[in-house]
This record gives sequence, structure tokens and C-alpha cells, in this order.
Amino acid sequence: MTVDPRLDTEVEQPRIGSGYSFRARLTAGLIVGATVPLLGFGALLVGVESARAGRLDAALTGLVLFALAVSVIVAVLFAWILAGSLMAPLRLVSRAVERVSRGDLSVRVEVAGEDELARLAESHNRLAADLQRRNVELGRILVAIGETSPRDGLDRLVAHATTSARSAFDMIDASLHLGDPGDIPVEESVPGESRPVRAILARPDERVGVLTGHLPATRSWDSADQDLLELFASEIAVAIRNAELFERVGAQSRRLVELDAAKDDFLRGISHNLQTPLTSIRAYADQLAASHPDRRLTIIAEQSDRLSRMVRQLLTVSRLESGALHPRLEVVALGTRVRRAWEALGAEDVALDLRDEAAGWLAVADPDQLDQVLWALLDNAVKYGGGGPVVVTIGRDDETELVTLTIADAGSGVPEAARDLLFGRFERSDESGHPDGTGLGLYVSRALCRAMGGELVLESAGRGSMDGRPGGAAFTVRLPGEAPDEG
Amino acid sequence: MLSGGRWGDVAAPRILLVDDDPNLLTLLADQLRADGFEVQTARDGDEALRRLQGGWPDLLIVDMMMPRKDGLTLAREVKAQADLPIIVLSAIDTADSKADLLEEVAEDYVTKPYHYPELRARIGRVLRRLGDKVPRGELVLGPDLALELHRRTATVRSQAVQLTPTESRLLYALAANLGRTVTTETLLDRGWADTENADPSYVWVTMRRLRQKIEPDPNHPVHLITVRGVGYRLVTQDRTADAGDAGAAGDAGAAGDAGAAGDAGAAGDAGAAGDAGA
Repeated sequence: MTVDPRLDTEVEQPRIGSGYSFRARLTAGLIVGATVPLLGFGALLVGVESARAGRLDAALTGLVLFALAVSVIVAVLFAWILAGSLMAPLRLVSRAVERVSRGDLSVRVEVAGEDELARLAESHNRLAADLQRRNVELGRILVAIGETSPRDGLDRLVAHATTSARSAFDMIDASLHLGDPGDIPVEESVPGESRPVRAILARPDERVGVLTGHLPATRSWDSADQDLLELFASEIAVAIRNAELFERVGAQSRRLVELDAAKDDFLRGISHNLQTPLTSIRAYADQLAASHPDRRLTIIAEQSDRLSRMVRQLLTVSRLESGALHPRLEVVALGTRVRRAWEALGAEDVALDLRDEAAGWLAVADPDQLDQVLWALLDNAVKYGGGGPVVVTIGRDDETELVTLTIADAGSGVPEAARDLLFGRFERSDESGHPDGTGLGLYVSRALCRAMGGELVLESAGRGSMDGRPGGAAFTVRLPGEAPDEG
Repeated sequence: MLSGGRWGDVAAPRILLVDDDPNLLTLLADQLRADGFEVQTARDGDEALRRLQGGWPDLLIVDMMMPRKDGLTLAREVKAQADLPIIVLSAIDTADSKADLLEEVAEDYVTKPYHYPELRARIGRVLRRLGDKVPRGELVLGPDLALELHRRTATVRSQAVQLTPTESRLLYALAANLGRTVTTETLLDRGWADTENADPSYVWVTMRRLRQKIEPDPNHPVHLITVRGVGYRLVTQDRTADAGDAGAAGDAGAAGDAGAAGDAGAAGDAGAAGDAGA
């Protein structure tokens, strides 16, 4: 966009125009064209008159015919030459106009003389030069607009817009005022001094500011130039709006990050403040139970564990929402984990039937998160199992290399109406009549299983035993598995 | 549990316990003393630093959330002075973003409410690891593999790979015996000290997965070698695959300074002896 239009012109040969004006030549041509046939006609009249007088001899007849022929030939020849000399420059101009209209703005017609055709050629040249200059300006404007980025911020954008306006329009100076355009008075144009220009930064709904500057006194400034400047100004107005929006979005997202950190801190504090006393309760109960075995101490320990798990579950829900689960996948034996989780529940009056059919296959899971899933599912099985045995079957699927864990209870199953909502937040089966629990167990468990690359499904809604299951609800956890081979 | 003489003639391991909850402090100190440890306590980070001036314990157990100086700051300050093993005891679970920061400075991480036998098992594991000498910085095992076990990362073909806590524990035990075979039982103890009925298959499967992570070609391992029926061996490799028999000599030569070369040579011998025994 730094090309000077004056250096890039191509001159159409030959020159256009001559020392005589177009009008003089046309007048002379018309006079000659009109008088020569008149001469011929005069000669014819002389011939006819002579014949009537009987003085027509062969020599005179020949002379008359000859004069006639010569005058016709001269007239035609003259007209032909004149037409040629008049048409040639017109053809040159028209060819140049055609090339310009095809987009080749570098074409110029070289002008000599002062006649009307020379002026025509000059105005063509000026038209082409103006077009070329505005093209260059438009190109610079587009580049300048393309270079704006909402990330730059308002100050850099304003600086960029003024320097771009100056270089695009060859201004002496340029400045951008944000705010009411009326604040900047309109300057009068004084002939011979630098010419002031101005364009309002307008958006459909408001006027953002005004772009002002000065042009060299010699520089022409037409409405097309003004249009171009206003186009630039309106694009800058849009860029300013984008920058403002970007800044606002940036500030909002910074605020969200701060809030997120504050929430994390808050949850950490809650967790610490709840878990610390629970830790003491739990540890003292254990210590006491070691020296004075008492069922009541066991219950204290179990119930404090239960409370701890609920606190953990609430933390997990909050992390689910912010997508910050980060499972740390380790190799785990499901059977061992199930037995430990079962012991932690302390459901001593319910029987656990653990069937390991996975032939030593191991699951890949986050041990802590898997424990949360197992606690929730086993707790449900005890809660809704009606006191019957809980059957846990560990199996594997050779095709998918998944390890499966099915937890089935002997309860009344999941009512038809509750199945769709089972894994939603705060859902629990109302018919069961158990008001305890957070109602988040299945929601959290499914999300945890999925985060570990597995799944949690309702295997059977119950009603009627099958495959040796107790006949209540059955949930299946699927997790990536590994064969127990040395390698 | 009450086996005061469990450490035999060796001096009882000293533990500095830092927690702002006085109940827990008293209780846990009692439990640890009953298990034969020599325990000192501190209520916050500043008190802990003052106690450290009077002598260094073998292990620091520190709570994460404490007034004035929190556990993370304390752990960082301590590690800046000496490589004292640290176990973090925290109500913040492992899914918290801060747990990762803690694990970078601490040897182990136990969530509250803790289960004493589990905590006890982890203390034992960390103390057993005391004799292991693994460089704190980067351990370069070959052109395609470098380990940074304290940060739980491996660099495989210039790509950073995150290691799980168990994986980095196993690699730590292997790296401490570079070139020598470490038995599956030892690895099982290091990785799963707190797991009941731990099975050798845990080690096998974890090693297989580890190989997928850190070996340039998992089907033709060059760093993590299985010694069938015995255990595993971590070896350096200065050529990608074609070294063959010249590999052992190349290892010693490439190690640089004389001390390291000597180590590598000895390690090679020990490894060979282990193989012959198997």
C-alpha cells in the first residue's frame, strides 16, 4: 500500500491532440466537405449550360466530367482523412476507458495540445488517477482496520486509528476525540491553507467520537474522499465497541476466576472446619473402642464417617459443576474396595454376598472417587433393600476390556416413574419413605464413573429375581480393566 | 500395636507433628508414641520451625490448613533447607487443585478423617524409603526418557507425561536401585503399603501401564525391564534400540563423572547376579 500512483502509470501511444482545436478542424472539414461537391455541381451546371447553347464539344464534356470526378474524389478523400483524424484520439480514449473499467487503473493517455480531445483525455487521466488513489487509500484503510484487534485496548486502538488515517489519506496531522463530536468545533476551510477534514465515528445507536485532521492545501478532496474517510471512521467506531466489549468480557472472566478461587477457598474452609472435629471424634472413638469394646463407640465412629462422606460428596458436587474432578487413575482390586467400603458402612444386620467372577482382573480408577461411588451404591442398597442381602458381582467383559461391578438389593426396585430422574440432582425414590441422605448419591456416582472413563447404569429396576440376584434394583458400574498378567 | 521395642537397637524414628487442632495433636501423638515413635508436636508453622532449630526429626507430619503459616508454605520452607520427608494430613481431598501442589513437596498425602492403621502404614513406607537416594532434580535415563520423580513427571521424547502417585513411588524404588532388580514384593510394599491383601498383579498391571507411558516402544522396553518371576529393573540406555550387548558398557561410559560410572558398573554387576540367581 506504499505504491505511489504517479510512478505506476502506463502511457497510451500516440499522443492525443494537436495544435488546432477540434472545433477548427471540424469546421474546416465541414466547409471543405460542403464546398467541394458544390464546385462539382457548378462544373456540372457549366456543362449543361454549354450543351444547351450547343457549344458542347467533346473536349469541354471531358473537362466537365473530369472536374466532377476530381471534386467527388477530393471530397471523399478529405472526409475520410478528417474522420480518421477525428476518430483516432476518440478510439484511444475509449480504449483507455475500457481498460480502466476492467480495473487497470494505471492506464494514462498522453496529452499534447489544448483542444477538446486533449481535455477529454486529461479528464480521463484525472478520473483514473483519482480512482487509483482512492483504491490505494481504501487498501490502506482495510489494512489498518484488519490490524485492529479488540485485545489491543482502547488507547492502542486510538493511536493506531490516527496514524492509519494520516498515512492512508496523506494527512498532515490527524487526531481522534472520543466522546461527543460537538466538543470539537468544525474548522472553516481557508483557501491556500491546509484543508481541515472531519468524520464522525458513528454507530447505528450512538456517536462515539470524531476523527479530525488536515490535508495539504493542494490536495483535492471530493465527496468520494469524504465517503471513504467516513467509512474508515465507522469501522473504527465498530473496533472501539469491540475493544470495549472485549475489555468487559475480560473483566467479567477475571471476576469469575476470582469468584471461583474464593469458592474453592470457602469450600476448603468448610471442609476443614467440619472434618477436623469429625477426625477427633472418629479417632477418640476408635481409641476408646480399642480399650473398652462397646457397640456404641462403633456407632459413633461409623456415624462420624458417614457425616465426613456427606461433606466430601457436597465438595464433589461443587467440583462437578466447575469441571474440576481430576481423577488420578490407579490400579485397584474391586473386591477389596467393596469389602472395605462395606465395613465402613457398618450395616451389620444386612448380609453382603460378594461374588468375584473377574478372575483377578483389576480396574483402573481413582481409589478415592471409586470409594465415593461404592459408598453411595452400597448405602442405597442397604437403605432400599428391605433388610435382604446385598449381592455384589464383579465380572468382566472380554470384548470391551471393561470390568463390571453389579450391586443388587432385595428391595422393591425402582418405581417406573422414578427411573428417568434417578441420576438427576437431588432425586430419590419418594415411595421408599427414607428421608435421609443428600439425594446426590447417584448423580455424583455417575459423574465420577464417567470422569474415570467408565459408566454407571441401572441394570435392573427390580421386581422378580433373576441370575441368582435378590430381585430388587441392580446398578452396574463399568470401569476400564486390566488382565492380571506379569509383563 | 503396643510394641515399644519394634525398632530394636535402632533409635526410634522421630516425628514432628504439626496441627492446629489440639485434640488431634494429643491423640495422634499418643497413638504414634504407643507405636514406638518419638513424637514432638507444634501448633502452627512458626512453632514447627522453632522446634526444627533444636534438631531435625526423621519425618514431618503437617496439617494443610493452619493459622498464620499454612502447611504448604511450611513444607516448602522445610524442603528448601533439607530433604526431610513430609506427610501431609489434610481435610482437603486429592481432587482439590491444591493437593497437586502439596504432592510436589510432600512424600505422601493422607486425607482427614484418617484411618490410623492406614496412616501408620504410610509412615512406615515413607521411612523405609529414607535410605533410597534418588536425585532431586532430573534423572536422565537415555535420549528418550528422563524422570523428575519429585514432581511426578516423566519426559518421554521431549513430551511431559504425568505420573500417578503410585507410579512415581514404584519408579522411586527402581531408580534408587538403578540397574539392579527390585523384587515384586518390595515394589508391592512401596506402592500398596496401606492396602490389605495386596496382590502381585497390582505391580504387574501398574508396570505394564507405566511402560505404555514412558517407554518409546512399549512392546520392546529398553528402560523398564521385567525379570520374570523376580521383579523389575530400571536401566539407562544411551542408544534408542540398536545398542544390544554393548549397552552395559555404553551405560558406564556415558554416565560422565567417575562416581556415576562406578555406580553404573556396580549396578550392572548386581543386576547380572540377580538374573543368575533367578
